[in-house]
Amino acid sequence: MADSLQLLRGTLDVLILKTLAGNRLHGYAIASRIAERTRGVLGIDDGALYQSLHRMEERDWVESEWGHADTGKRAKFYRLTESGRRQLRVETANWLRYAEAVFRVLQPGAAT
Amino acid sequence: MSPRFRMMRTTRQIAADVDEEIRVHLEMRIADLVRQGLSPAQAREEALRRFGDLARARAAMSAADRRHLRRTRYRDYRQEFVQDLWHAGRQLRRRPAFAAVTILTLGLGIGATTAVFSVADHVVLRPLPHRGADRIMALWESDERTVEGRKEVSPGNFVSWRERSQSFTSMALIEPSGFDLTSADGPPAAIRSWDVTGGFFETMGATPVLGRGFLPEEHVPNAPRAVVLSYRLWQQRFGSDPRLVGSAITLDGAPATVVGVAPPWLTYPEDRDLYNPKHWYPGEENDRESAYMYAVGRLRPGVTPEQAQAELDAIGARLAAEYPATNTGLRVHAVPFPEQLLGDVRPALLVLLVAVGFVLLIACANVASLLMARAAERERELAVRAALGAGRTRLVRQLVTESLVLALLGGALGIALAFAGVQVLVALSPPNLPRLEAIAVDGRVLVFALAITLLTALLFGLAPALRASRPDLLSVLRAAGRSLSGAIERVKLRRLLVAGEIALALVLLIGARLLVRSFVTLLDSDLGFVAENRATFQAFLWDLNPMAEQRLQRAQAIVDAFLGTPGVEAVGITTAVPFHPTQIDPMSNLVVEGRPAPATGEEQRVSTLIASPEYFRVMGIPLVAGRGFLHTDRLETFPAPPDAARVALINQALARRLFPDEDPVGKRARFGVMGPPQTWEIVGVVGDVRPRTLDSDPRAEVFVPLAQTANGSLTFVVRTRDRVADLVPALRERFWSAAPNQTIYYEATLEQLIAHTLVERRFHLVVLGAFSVVALSLATIGVYGLIAYSMSLRTGEISVRMALGAEAGQIVAMVVRDGLKLAMPGIVIGAAGALLLTRFMRTMLYQVAPTNPVIYGELVALVLVVAMAASFIPARRAASVNPATALREE
Repeated sequence: MADSLQLLRGTLDVLILKTLAGNRLHGYAIASRIAERTRGVLGIDDGALYQSLHRMEERDWVESEWGHADTGKRAKFYRLTESGRRQLRVETANWLRYAEAVFRVLQPGAAT
Repeated sequence: MSPRFRMMRTTRQIAADVDEEIRVHLEMRIADLVRQGLSPAQAREEALRRFGDLARARAAMSAADRRHLRRTRYRDYRQEFVQDLWHAGRQLRRRPAFAAVTILTLGLGIGATTAVFSVADHVVLRPLPHRGADRIMALWESDERTVEGRKEVSPGNFVSWRERSQSFTSMALIEPSGFDLTSADGPPAAIRSWDVTGGFFETMGATPVLGRGFLPEEHVPNAPRAVVLSYRLWQQRFGSDPRLVGSAITLDGAPATVVGVAPPWLTYPEDRDLYNPKHWYPGEENDRESAYMYAVGRLRPGVTPEQAQAELDAIGARLAAEYPATNTGLRVHAVPFPEQLLGDVRPALLVLLVAVGFVLLIACANVASLLMARAAERERELAVRAALGAGRTRLVRQLVTESLVLALLGGALGIALAFAGVQVLVALSPPNLPRLEAIAVDGRVLVFALAITLLTALLFGLAPALRASRPDLLSVLRAAGRSLSGAIERVKLRRLLVAGEIALALVLLIGARLLVRSFVTLLDSDLGFVAENRATFQAFLWDLNPMAEQRLQRAQAIVDAFLGTPGVEAVGITTAVPFHPTQIDPMSNLVVEGRPAPATGEEQRVSTLIASPEYFRVMGIPLVAGRGFLHTDRLETFPAPPDAARVALINQALARRLFPDEDPVGKRARFGVMGPPQTWEIVGVVGDVRPRTLDSDPRAEVFVPLAQTANGSLTFVVRTRDRVADLVPALRERFWSAAPNQTIYYEATLEQLIAHTLVERRFHLVVLGAFSVVALSLATIGVYGLIAYSMSLRTGEISVRMALGAEAGQIVAMVVRDGLKLAMPGIVIGAAGALLLTRFMRTMLYQVAPTNPVIYGELVALVLVVAMAASFIPARRAASVNPATALREE
């Protein structure tokens, strides 16, 4: 994954929160959806994803329970909590502002 | 399951969950990859590669989960605790009488304990504020030849110790002295001071809070006078003015520069007003007679108190060989300062601390007993909660929280009571209690109060909670709230608690009774004089009346002035009124003329006193033989020739010692009265008096007439017809009319002087007495509550008995017998406990054995009567039940 972009700090959290918005998913499904949406541009270790999930559970942004996947196998499912949803809104707004600012500087024709 | 074990289990559970989650993920990934066409081996490798650092992820996930679990659990506890608090509050509001009794009982226990602790803590438990307090040694001498034994230090011996010993880095001599302090804005005041040698403040580990100690040049004779004020004098007389340091005050009419202010805790040998550099008069370093000074030394690092004592013993032995006339029979004592200061008060304060601990335990037992009675009423509520799924630990927590709420409310009341209690204790406390000025309820004491509050909650709350949390579900629910088996078990436990209360109360009662007996014995002891309606005024006439004739005239003028006051019957003069704290009390060797001079060290040591002819009549001291002093017993000139006729009286103690088989009257003896020896003719024998305290034995005393010594250190004793205390202000005015500008050094009625020596005993008596009364009351409530409760359980049984023809009297007798049976084990244990514990009170007792059987008998009887009385009321109520009604209710 040497050619994929390194993740900015905290970005993974917001990606996961977004992925979980309105969904109840296990870790593998979260990883798959993020890879799908980003078309594999962001190099995300599965291990990092799980660490992020557990850290967010510690902060009460997500909660988990064991359940059964479509295949019938036992898996641990995650969903957003109320404070997770709040966090997602805050982080999304921050991200957009941040990206906008960076984009304004970098866009072709911007004053140097 | 222990919390530790539970934590281990959950840790292992968390790790297993994390592993399972990772395993499921890898399986899914491999399955996907295989579907995309990889071989299983390749897929496996790829899945692991995509996962990244597996070990690190695993550790981080587990750690996050553990933290999460801890926090959630803590939050749950907190929420449940808040619920429990609300619940407890509701419970208490629903039962205001129960709540009030419980909180009051706990408040009393915690308050009393906190107050006594704060006194004990400030006086004996805290380290002394002196720098290196354990290096300071108090140095004093004892004399085998006198009754009292202990004496202080003579300047000559002090100088020898200082020169010859190697054990100390510094040594200081402390001499009591006094000044008249005059200022423009107030009356002249006699102030008490210490003359101290160089290095005093360093030796005592005390740095002045303002200014400095003395410089070496200030100890040189004729140096301008420099003084260090005591903190108290600085505060009270000079309004804590910091600018005072460096300015001058007027002492004995001459200016003295204030160079410093001593720290407030510097009160050894006693609390006085100021410090003055000691100036040695010529030859004083050879004076081994005037043993009225105090000495302290600071141990050299590495030297133990025992080594210092051994060295001083050796020096003392050499001094005895060199100066046999003065030093034979003297022993030097080096006592570590904390022990010197606190040794006398520590045992008594520890006794009080233990006593108040007993009161607290009784309070706890009572509250526990009350809680158990409450638990019976609440059994159904608890059973329902348990049925609804509350675990046992959950129920225990709920009940302990209720206890905690009770304890905290009781603790709050207790702290409020402690503030008041400390004031009472300080007001009652004896003057020898050091560091009193610092006593207050402060942070340290509050922490103690909180700690005992929590401890009490545990003590009285846990047993009932454990018992109640295990309700017999089925029987409780089925019996519609009345489970007899549980109630009976609870009664058994409560019987144990009440027996314990009775035991503790009995120990306290016996202790207090021993003190009362000691006190009464002391008050009954024969003083040898009459104390009622006598006022004393001590004054030092020397400075204003330097000539002997002037002093005698002045003294007579003061006597005449007193006699001119309405209500005054007679006036006497002496140098040493019994029980007086500042009596002038020198001793002398006495040799009877015509007898061989005793060997060195075998001399008769006697106290020498001076008196006017009226003194004995005024004091009510009987003349036993011969004649008293006459106004014709005087000298024509001062100083008089050695062969002038001089007369003396001896007391019975000395007469018995010197003339067991002879008539002392007419014998002649040589002794000195604050001066060189003279020959005196014994003209009479007077009765013995107790010299210092009610438990002090009469000592050998010889009196000589004031008119033959012209001494100026006098105490006037005024006998009034009645109400002496009311007359004191008028007498004071009369005194000043006859002796203007003369300060009165010490003024007190004889009864006040005696009361003063009893303050310490009265303190112990009042405090322990109050504790024992509280203890007995609480134990009585305990007995009453328990009997009343078990009666309520036995209503049915009693109704049946009465229906079968039992008389009311029989029922009452049965219940009262039950009360006695309840008290018996407590009484046995209490009496045994008292036998074990009262021996620690020995120093507080006077002429009563700590095992006095009569006293034990009295108090056992008292407790039995109280137990009977406490069961009598519920017994009467039980016997007055209408059997028909009661049975129908069943």
